[in-house]
Amino acid sequence: MAKYMLLLYDNRANWTDISPDEMQKAIQKYKAWGDKLKKLGIYVSSHKLADDAGKVLRGRSGPRITDGPYSETKEVLGGYFMIEAPTYDDAVGHSRDCPHLEYGGTIEVRQIDPMVGSA
Amino acid sequence: MTGTEISETIGADNARVMVDHLFRSRAGQMVAYLTRMLGPEHLDLAEEVTQEALLKALQNWPYTGIPNNPAGWLFRVARNSALDAIRHRTLTGEKSAELSAEHFRHAATPDDAELEERFRDDELRMVLMCCHPTLPQDARVALSLKTTGGFSVREIARAFLADEATIAQRLVRAKRQIRQSGIRFELPAGEDLDVRLDSALEVIYLMFNEGYAAQSGEDLVRQDLCGEALRLGRLLATSSVSTPQVHALVALMAFQAARLPARVDAAGELVVLEDQDRRQWDRGLIALGFHHFEMCAEGTSVTSYHVQAAIAATHARAEQGRATDWEQILELYDQLLQLSPSPVVELNRAVVVAKVNGPEAALAVLRQLEGNRALRNYYLLPAVQGQLLLEIGDKAGASEYLGRALDCPCSEPERRFLRRKLADAS
Repeated sequence: MAKYMLLLYDNRANWTDISPDEMQKAIQKYKAWGDKLKKLGIYVSSHKLADDAGKVLRGRSGPRITDGPYSETKEVLGGYFMIEAPTYDDAVGHSRDCPHLEYGGTIEVRQIDPMVGSA
Repeated sequence: MTGTEISETIGADNARVMVDHLFRSRAGQMVAYLTRMLGPEHLDLAEEVTQEALLKALQNWPYTGIPNNPAGWLFRVARNSALDAIRHRTLTGEKSAELSAEHFRHAATPDDAELEERFRDDELRMVLMCCHPTLPQDARVALSLKTTGGFSVREIARAFLADEATIAQRLVRAKRQIRQSGIRFELPAGEDLDVRLDSALEVIYLMFNEGYAAQSGEDLVRQDLCGEALRLGRLLATSSVSTPQVHALVALMAFQAARLPARVDAAGELVVLEDQDRRQWDRGLIALGFHHFEMCAEGTSVTSYHVQAAIAATHARAEQGRATDWEQILELYDQLLQLSPSPVVELNRAVVVAKVNGPEAALAVLRQLEGNRALRNYYLLPAVQGQLLLEIGDKAGASEYLGRALDCPCSEPERRFLRRKLADAS
């Protein structure tokens, strides 16, 4: 089983004038989806990233540190889930019914490199 | 089990963990609490930080899971962002913000048990503030739904068939009025309390009716409006400012709400009172209705709410359609007509006249209502006339009146009901 990162990008504009009732419904859907991963035994971990833009370091001629890349883009990396799955297709399949998509977000699925040939 | 099945099963379990409308009711409580802390002139800020706290939950809980004490979590986050906002405004030299900051610092964070008590009191003040008689009535309803009910502008607009810009404008003006008139966040007393309580009952009654008989659209009933009206009514009824009149209104709403499950059938079609499966009436709400009905009898004055509650109680007592005590209901309608005469009451009374004295007698009463300006676009007048004409076998007359009813605005299920009647008449 390989591990996969599901990177959840938000578009904050999707959440304007949303009522408390609608927010509660959304949270319940996310929770149901997370519970599904746990029930299937494929959930590894999940974390919410801090709301700041983060820092970016660039190398070569001495490190240059700048604020994160997001300030100019609409989509923000909000957090991630790590799951286990036999193939990419399975990992994508498990992400397909994530409510994040229904609410206009984007999910990037990346496999953790299994480190071919390592001991 | 497929993925969807599993997520549905868990969804059901989950619903029990987080009570229905937890966010909605907590939003109302947080806005009320923060408004007391910040002052009514900062109602906007109170709403803003509350919305922010809920959004934070939405951005965190999918990853971290729902905390053990969701309400406490939301409350803490809202309180902290309110403090941040005040600090910021104080830095920019806003005088009223300085005072609020002072206020906030001295207020200890109450513990959970005290919190519930405090919240109830804050909500009560909020209801009475939103129903201040200097605000226009439509603004009072919108403001109550927005602040205590946690409804969004979009939801309020949908409920009242207004566009969002109109509702937003109404809210902005109401808040400005609160600032300009210096309306305080207080528990009024004496005559002031009487006036505000009357206004609050009017607002709650209007909210309930709007939910109970939607004016158009696909939903026959807007349960959420009825539920919020009932909740606010009970908040008043169980508070220190309650009066027999408050109990009468709560009894009326509880009896009416008890019938809601039977009012629409499985296919979403309208079911009239006589055809309702009474086993579907909500026993808990009927019991609640009778509880408040008993308490409303304690006063000396009989108000329109008392009589309407008595009518609803008579219906609730009837086990089967046949056992309804129509004569008693007719007497109550006569009383209601004296207390608060209106063409709508006359129309409803005529339906009861038909039960007691037959359709001809009722049709004679209704003829006098024709041409009444207030009922000009009211589909129920020609609909009732059409129905009664159908009963006496006047199919041509029935078709004409049912056709007229269909020309008036009404909800889609009501429209389909009328079409079925029209088919009977041809």
